[in-house]
Amino acid sequence: MKITIGYLYPDMMSTFGDRGNVETVRRRCAWRGIGTEITELKLGDPIPAGLDLILIGGGGEAQQRLVAADLHKVKAPGIRDAVAGGTAALAVGGGFELFGRFCQPERGAEYPGVDLFDCWTIRRSTLLGDDYGTIAQAKADRVIGELVVQWDDRLLVGFENHSGGTYLGTAAQPLGLVLTGHGNSGTGTEGVILDSAVGTNLRGPCLPKNPALADFLIAAAVGRLHPGAELMPLRDELEQAAHDDCLQRVLPAGRIRRVRPGRAAGTGPARQPRLTRPQRSPQRASRTTDAATRP
Amino acid sequence: MLRVDPGALGGMIAELARGCVLVTGSNGKGTTCRMLAQIMRAGGLHPVLNGEGSNQLSGLATTMVAHAAPTGRLRQDFRAIGLFEVDEGSFPEVMPHIRHPAAIVVTNLFRDQLDRYFEPAYIMGLLERTMRSLPPDTTLILNADDPRIACLAADLPNPRLYFGMADTGPCRSEPDPTSDCPRCPRCGGELAYSSVFYAHLGHWACPGCGLARPEPDIRATGIELIGSQSTRLEIATPAATTVISVPLPGLYNAYNALAAVAAATQCQLPEESLQAVGEITAGSYRMERVEVDGRDVYLALAKNANGYTEVLRAVLGDGLPKRMLLGLNTNPGKQPDTSWIWDVDFDAIAGLVLVPVVSGNRAADLAVRLKYAGWPDPGDVIVQPDPVAAFQAALAATPPGQPLWIVSTSVVLSGIRAWLRRHGYVRELWQEFAREQQEQARRPRLRIRPQAPALPASVQPRPVRRRTALPLQTVELPAADMPSAGPVRPLVAGSTVSMPTTADLPPLIAEGDDPAAPAGREASIEDRGAGL
Repeated sequence: MKITIGYLYPDMMSTFGDRGNVETVRRRCAWRGIGTEITELKLGDPIPAGLDLILIGGGGEAQQRLVAADLHKVKAPGIRDAVAGGTAALAVGGGFELFGRFCQPERGAEYPGVDLFDCWTIRRSTLLGDDYGTIAQAKADRVIGELVVQWDDRLLVGFENHSGGTYLGTAAQPLGLVLTGHGNSGTGTEGVILDSAVGTNLRGPCLPKNPALADFLIAAAVGRLHPGAELMPLRDELEQAAHDDCLQRVLPAGRIRRVRPGRAAGTGPARQPRLTRPQRSPQRASRTTDAATRP
Repeated sequence: MLRVDPGALGGMIAELARGCVLVTGSNGKGTTCRMLAQIMRAGGLHPVLNGEGSNQLSGLATTMVAHAAPTGRLRQDFRAIGLFEVDEGSFPEVMPHIRHPAAIVVTNLFRDQLDRYFEPAYIMGLLERTMRSLPPDTTLILNADDPRIACLAADLPNPRLYFGMADTGPCRSEPDPTSDCPRCPRCGGELAYSSVFYAHLGHWACPGCGLARPEPDIRATGIELIGSQSTRLEIATPAATTVISVPLPGLYNAYNALAAVAAATQCQLPEESLQAVGEITAGSYRMERVEVDGRDVYLALAKNANGYTEVLRAVLGDGLPKRMLLGLNTNPGKQPDTSWIWDVDFDAIAGLVLVPVVSGNRAADLAVRLKYAGWPDPGDVIVQPDPVAAFQAALAATPPGQPLWIVSTSVVLSGIRAWLRRHGYVRELWQEFAREQQEQARRPRLRIRPQAPALPASVQPRPVRRRTALPLQTVELPAADMPSAGPVRPLVAGSTVSMPTTADLPPLIAEGDDPAAPAGREASIEDRGAGL
């Protein structure tokens, strides 16, 4: 048994430890006796047929611009067709932004995305703009911290570091609800899920600490050629310890937001995300409405 | 001080007789400064340097205040030269206080603390924008092997001095997994490397637009890595070729030595003084050696993916298995991002660490990382978040006579060091720093030149200022307010009270009066040096 993994832009979109996700899939497959073939897809390479899993991480502003052009020109139809054909995908951080409909930096023209997910990103700022004389000024415009997400009946933990302006269209189903942190746009939803394709702001190596999400993707990839195949459970003490460790850091601070029953269960594919907390500032609230009505 | 008088720091720095040299970059700032300080001392200068890690604006202010006289001005010293390590993120805040740096050394640029500094391109933009306000004669001393640094602010008219590796012996056959893969600074194309030393440092060229690595002025023509202890370097400067031995392991320390030699060349320090690099002791946590119950314990700080990888390579470069304690922590309230551990090349050294102990508040994350790097049975890794308990466990697992290496981020190291200090194995960091400064001052100086070396062309001689004496004012008090003191009585019977007259007072010399005046002081230093 073997799965084929397409690793998009390993040289340009792996700035945030994103290789950890590839390693996690590879090792967890190997421990179960599943072979992996990793195809690195760089600028100019088309999406080959027969991929079981597509992985993309995050990169710097300049890299994302180059990658966006290449995705639009070379890879977007291939990715959309693959996911429609059952290929699993994980798009993290900057890669998630690029898998939406478009991405609007603060300055310069917006760039088109893959248009896989019905979501779009409007950055509040771009890091390379001349406006920021110091680190502190640039930092004030970003969402940086730990993120805990309720995904069905499980919890996902990780780290977010983005401008916090990804908005979901009506066709998008959020991956989960934010318990702690910011998520897509501060309105309580986090990420997007479409069949077996997942987009998330859990930046960088999100799979090692969330073995459930890793196994969800592996199961989907294996299930493409072997429907109904069940994954052998693994000993995940260390992974679970790291996962719980993150919850422990967040929980004592009392920052977990209570999720009322019904909200989590009722999140359907066609539903607009609802506000689960008051907006922090009127400025951001108006921004959200603008963005939400945009396309 | 900065709040009371924002100009005070700048004023004090401007008073340094021989100007100042700044060192910035992602990795190696501290070690480069320590090496350069040794060379400067051997060359007869008195470097004023900020202690390790005090590399932001407040640290610089503290350093200058410590060197100031009570008047708020610097103590007069015609051999004083500023040598400041500047945090790359604080560069824009520090630079306005330094009006006329003689040279700026930029060591390298790596991904570092992405949650604090964002991507390297942002830091590079920050450096470039700040450099626009430099005087045009400040020399930029740049790493030719780092494509981004080599092309830093390429349109500025400032003189540039490049350093780089010429010996391709220790280079890697394939690109490093920790590489940042920077694009061509001119056209954005993919760079081609004929050799890679580590990460993205190497002999690079852009096949697209033809931009290539500049030929370095200061070259390492021979590199010999001697185990996990030291390195021998053959360095060619425009003037001569010197062989120096660096008592620190690893290619990254060879780069640090190269940067220090380049800066020394720029300061026109004599060739012979370069040998002083061999005298440097490991900085605190930079492979600092402590003897604990018959075992050599080495403390090595690693703060980012490249630092961690290179320290591990330096320690395990001889291919012999070692006992190690690996640490990972976040500082309370800041830098919560530890994703960079997935860029550390743990995979290559999977079988080389006997009984690995992991520690720190993120020990759990590090343990997962090691598991996925294919380290033997996960059950063999000892996970102990408490640094002291982890250290004791690691020490117990190390037989006497064997070394124990501790590679970690800062909090674990400081926790272990605090324990070592409480038990008398080491002193406080500030005491170490102070002791080192004292020893340096006392150490016999190899006097190479009868006169002090000439001022670098870029350093303006300090303007001579004369202080005029204030006229004395006599206030006459009404007689009624005077206490009835009576005649002055001698304190001891039989003795007389003598009041000093103006004739007894030493003649008043105005500060900064004449550079030639304190010849007596210079002579006394020479004598002391010769006598020891």
